Amino acid sequence: MAYLTFETILYAGAIGLIALGSLGLVLSRHLFRLVLALAIAEAGANLLLVLTGYRGGAVAPILGVHQPGTTMVDPIPQVLVLTAIVIGVGVQALAVSVLLKIYRAYGTLDLRVLREHLELDLAKAAGIRAPGSQEAPAGERPLPPPIPAVAKAAKESAP
Amino acid sequence: MTLHQMLLQVPDLALPFAPTQSQIVLAVVLPLLGAFLMQPLARVSRTLALALGPIVLAASAYLLIALSLEYGGAPFVVAIGGYAPPLGVVFYVDRLALLFATAVPLFTLLFWWRAEPDAAGSTDSARRDAVMLLLAAAATGLALSGDLFNIYVFYELTAVASFGLVALRATGAAYIATVRYLLLSALGSVLALVGIAIVYLLTGTLNLAQIAQLAPGTLANPAGLAAFALLLVGFGVKAELFPVNTWVPEVYATAPARISALLAGLISKLAVLVVLRLVVLAFDGTGAQTLLLALGTLGVLTGELAAWRAQDFPRMLAYSSVGQLGVVFIALSLPGYTGVFAALAVALHHVVVKSALFGLATRWNGSLEALAGAARTAPRASILFVLFALSLIGVPPLPGFWAKLLVLVGLAQLGTQAALTALAVILLATAVEANYLFRVAVRLFQRASDGAPAPPRPGRFDVAVASLLGLVLLGATVTIDPLSTWLGGIAAQTTDVDATIATVFPTPIAQTP
Repeated sequence: MAYLTFETILYAGAIGLIALGSLGLVLSRHLFRLVLALAIAEAGANLLLVLTGYRGGAVAPILGVHQPGTTMVDPIPQVLVLTAIVIGVGVQALAVSVLLKIYRAYGTLDLRVLREHLELDLAKAAGIRAPGSQEAPAGERPLPPPIPAVAKAAKESAP
Repeated sequence: MTLHQMLLQVPDLALPFAPTQSQIVLAVVLPLLGAFLMQPLARVSRTLALALGPIVLAASAYLLIALSLEYGGAPFVVAIGGYAPPLGVVFYVDRLALLFATAVPLFTLLFWWRAEPDAAGSTDSARRDAVMLLLAAAATGLALSGDLFNIYVFYELTAVASFGLVALRATGAAYIATVRYLLLSALGSVLALVGIAIVYLLTGTLNLAQIAQLAPGTLANPAGLAAFALLLVGFGVKAELFPVNTWVPEVYATAPARISALLAGLISKLAVLVVLRLVVLAFDGTGAQTLLLALGTLGVLTGELAAWRAQDFPRMLAYSSVGQLGVVFIALSLPGYTGVFAALAVALHHVVVKSALFGLATRWNGSLEALAGAARTAPRASILFVLFALSLIGVPPLPGFWAKLLVLVGLAQLGTQAALTALAVILLATAVEANYLFRVAVRLFQRASDGAPAPPRPGRFDVAVASLLGLVLLGATVTIDPLSTWLGGIAAQTTDVDATIATVFPTPIAQTP
């Protein structure tokens, strides 16, 4: 069990978080879950970055507090991680605010439904035929049942 | 009398100082300051706020041009806050950095004025101007940074600013495109951050010059290659690298066309610049080259085929830009000077051409069929389209031909199986490109069918911008010889890794693992 040091566990945890978050980003289809997956992946990346400065049994890098010659952890990754965390939070907040706008516009955060909306809107704006049911490739998974809010909005917008 | 002295004598342009080297930070700081002052200023005086953006950008452009003329020959380093590298953060200013940095305020100015009102019905909101300045500041910083983490920060700032601009139309479609772009971009950032962490773990530094110094011993291994792959995919999101370019068609179709022009033209090339620096300084192994070649080839293939199938003008341009950037990545896979020279040629050509074409798409934003007979109502725009299309395809003697030729010759000289495949793919893609661009050109000049609505006319301003860029293109055609010498000089300076290290560290530092 020589390999299973404290540091190894931390590294495994960080990489695991990144993998988990990335998988979530690829596989989820609900926008809010995507934002959460992003938060997890970012936490993993930040942890990994701060781990690169980790030294076993070292103290916090503050001058004048510890005995000269004491091993300190590398302060540079810590500084960088602060920046990365702030950026990450900002981007996530922006994402959530855009999600709010999307929900108000379409009444759903299901990415498959939204992509369909996007295609239709783009085709309508450009005045071209949308990739409708006739042209869609066979084998596509059926859409989930209509969401009440969308159906209601569609009914209201129809003459 | 040098051009610089002449500029100083023009009273409108003369700043009360001739810039010193350290004042290059003003090119980043001024737009940043302007961005934050924009909103408070708009409360006080709307007129002042309206003038602030162009003034700041013009000042920043003047500063950078004056610096290029004064110190442009030799690279120099500005240590931010006076802290020496490698602990301090530096701006590394060589001719390539200055070229891209100067292009940022100029192109932002070119696409500054808005073509359409926003959701609130105004065409002059201070918010949007602030975001635009933020984009300019971040992009300038990205071009000048000589430090991996600073590059990451400026890249993120560029990304956030572009999210704001992409959502400008405030339609549901624009928000969906924005959030999908945002999530992909954020995933890219996470991957890039992991790549940075690995590089730091292997080399113990984030200063690009020091990484270059340590790279042969520390990064030429599988872990280093993994770091490069992560950095490439991370920064590749903005550079429209296959496979992280799914945002491209949606975003360019939903964002205002002038914003698309800025993003597709210049901002994507700044991400390419980051990749170029990484390839030159740190990752010049065969593994990295194979990766670039493979992803570039796939990008060319998918981009051009999708453009061939596109039915509307903005998305055709978007897919074609994916294809063109694929060619840039293929060029970057060529080793050393050849690769950098070819990549710069293709990238700069694409900046000029795609900016102009997206500018025309401000009004030509509908289906390709709606453009039938547009030459009658908009003859100048149609002729300009044909000019840009010819250069994009690579018809001699236009610059696009020479740029593509550089890549093809480089690939042929390399002569490996993969390189020859890429060569064949580029040739095939050129045929596809010619097909769809000529299809549009023919449609422009054909007679409109009876009863069809009149094709839209590009605005006077967009045609003026396109004409200006068309003149640049024609000028480049005439001066292709001195131009290639000039670009070759830049490429030679960029690929001189030893000189880069010597510039950043005049006294050699002790190598600590």
